[in-house]
Amino acid sequence: MKRTPIIALACAAVGLLAIGACGAPGASSASSSASANLASPTTKTGTISIITKFADPRYAPYFVNVAKAYEKANPGVKVDLQQVGDQPYKDKIRVLASSKQLPDIYFSWAGDFTNKFVRAGLAADLTSVIGPDTEWGKTMSPAALKTFQYDGKYYGVPIDLDAKFMAYNTAAFAKAGLSGAPASFEDLLSDCAKLKNADYTPIAFGNQYGWPAIHYITQLNAYNVAPDTLSKDYTPATGEFTDPGYVKALTQFQQLAHTCTTKGANGLSHESAQATFINGKSAMHYLESVEFSVLTKQGGAPASTANSWSFFQLPAPSGAAGDAKALTGAPDGFLVNPQSKNAALAVDFLKFMTNQQNAQQLVKQIGWLSPVQGSATESNTFPQLRQALDKINGASQFAVWLDTVTNADVANAYLSGAEGLVDGSQTPEQVMKAVQATAKKIRNSAG
Amino acid sequence: MTTKSRAWGGWLWIAPALVLLAVFVYYPILDNFRLSLYSWNAFSPAHFVGIDNYRTAAQDPVFWRALRNNTTFAIVSLICQVGFSLALAAILEEFVHSRLRGILRTIYFIPAVISITVAGILFSFLYNPQIGLVNRALEAVGLDSWTHSWLGEPSTAMGSIIAMSQWQSIGYTAVLFVVAIQRIPREYYEAAKVDGAGPIRQFFSITVPMVREMTTLMVILTISGAFLVFNEVQVMTSGGPSNSSQVLGTWLYQNAFLQDNMGYASAIATVIFVITFVIAVVQLVVTRKRRVEL
Repeated sequence: MKRTPIIALACAAVGLLAIGACGAPGASSASSSASANLASPTTKTGTISIITKFADPRYAPYFVNVAKAYEKANPGVKVDLQQVGDQPYKDKIRVLASSKQLPDIYFSWAGDFTNKFVRAGLAADLTSVIGPDTEWGKTMSPAALKTFQYDGKYYGVPIDLDAKFMAYNTAAFAKAGLSGAPASFEDLLSDCAKLKNADYTPIAFGNQYGWPAIHYITQLNAYNVAPDTLSKDYTPATGEFTDPGYVKALTQFQQLAHTCTTKGANGLSHESAQATFINGKSAMHYLESVEFSVLTKQGGAPASTANSWSFFQLPAPSGAAGDAKALTGAPDGFLVNPQSKNAALAVDFLKFMTNQQNAQQLVKQIGWLSPVQGSATESNTFPQLRQALDKINGASQFAVWLDTVTNADVANAYLSGAEGLVDGSQTPEQVMKAVQATAKKIRNSAG
Repeated sequence: MTTKSRAWGGWLWIAPALVLLAVFVYYPILDNFRLSLYSWNAFSPAHFVGIDNYRTAAQDPVFWRALRNNTTFAIVSLICQVGFSLALAAILEEFVHSRLRGILRTIYFIPAVISITVAGILFSFLYNPQIGLVNRALEAVGLDSWTHSWLGEPSTAMGSIIAMSQWQSIGYTAVLFVVAIQRIPREYYEAAKVDGAGPIRQFFSITVPMVREMTTLMVILTISGAFLVFNEVQVMTSGGPSNSSQVLGTWLYQNAFLQDNMGYASAIATVIFVITFVIAVVQLVVTRKRRVEL
């Protein structure tokens, strides 16, 4: 009698295992056709589901308002809008993709993050509606459209423009005897010494989660490695990372970290470091253009900072072998689920979201740059943001964030190594060895 | 009612609980093991790889570092949350006046009701290398050379997280020990006093053996908790810098949701399950053998 429960449990276990073994996990296979009917719907009715990563109270209201405005303009349509935070989004979207529960429209970062959805057949080919030659495509910045290009097709609708710049306090520079932005990377290093002498931390740098270092390395990789080599190495199936430019980039980053930046940066968040720039203790801060608004009076900065800051692109090292006009950054965007029954309606909603009126409202309300051309005007933005737009338009290409442009394992090897470079526990050669080993593993599994 | 029908009746009563356990506990455990035999993620078709994911774990230095961090976490937690908490509870019950005792119990317990996320952020401020209270305090007493970027250096990151976790948990376990000590008949202590036993002798000869069941429970919970730890690390360092504060939970999460290695993450989950299961079984067996009957 005592054996009964054990036998029953064993039987149950075997039964469950057998049931569980019925199907293999994960995506069944990459869909050969990621095309959906995108022709403008004659009658607009139904529900569109959309998920964003903009739950931050500074950004969420804009998307809520756009959804409400679309519903008002199209009474037969309901927009089911879900907004989650940046980090939870990464979990949620994977679970939704795995369980085939993707909404009609979903957020995506540019680079391999988007490409994974494309390869798995989870992103609709939008070339016919947003290609550069289409009516909608012509309203967009070509560089922004290009970042969502894969195998010659366009899969993403860019929603913002973002690029990384070095903001500097003009008063601090004057006090240190510096006339303006450094012309080269070497000049930047020598300027740091002058700023230290003037009692400033030259560059406010918080690297608690690793990505701020990655942004420097993204830019330095673009400067030191030829674009074709970069493109080949950032592709999971062909990545080798053997070009000597990669070690040079890491060496330059380590020099910068040790000469110019905050001590103990790995233990400091980006926001904490940013606060030291805002309150005038640090002279420079490497930040994204979407963060520019925190340096304004409206964004809460004191007048002493708000009235005396400018910015420059991280200067290229002399004689670097890569593209000196590439600029770190990328647009964020939305993808459309090719299995969506409302794909055409979803595209119509995205057209509405990126029309001139909504694009101007995005710039005004959130302080982001929009990929819609002509959306940043004197009335809805501040001078530095318009200058940033000019710099973006003048850049030869976007150097897309290293942690999204390449395979996640390779990005993690870089992330971990960059932290080691900051605290001095690793050398550039050691970091690249780990990156190369990971890239080889990914190459083999992709092959 | 016959014996047979009574037996079936019993099964009927426990059936709902069994079904719930089977669906929400046993099935996920078994299915997780099955998933660990595949290479899969949300974006690509799965293929069977046998025990490759376990081989990967065996050769992965970060996995071993995470395991080492979990083990350190468990050892320190045992010392603080079981050893120190028991001593604290005994001192509270034996030496502290009853009015003050209540206040102290509340003070010790307060950290346990603070959300782990809030506590993590709070300690991130304390450990801040520029404005943190820890470095400021060290500088104030002339120990400048002891200051660190506590969460930013591989040598101090894990220790700093463990310290925060102990701060949060000691009060909770101490209160549980207080409850256990209060159940011990006072006559035992009075008899020991008559026989000339001092407080320390009373502690080791009466308190420790009489709270053995609570101690065992605490040991199981503490060790299991140490191997399941996730929130503290995720909030304070996300496993960095350079993976120095990775624990099995964060390494699992990172592989599953950031690096798209779901099969490998499932293998790590299986390892965590096996470790905690074995520890629980060993503890239960040992307790049964040593149970003290009142």
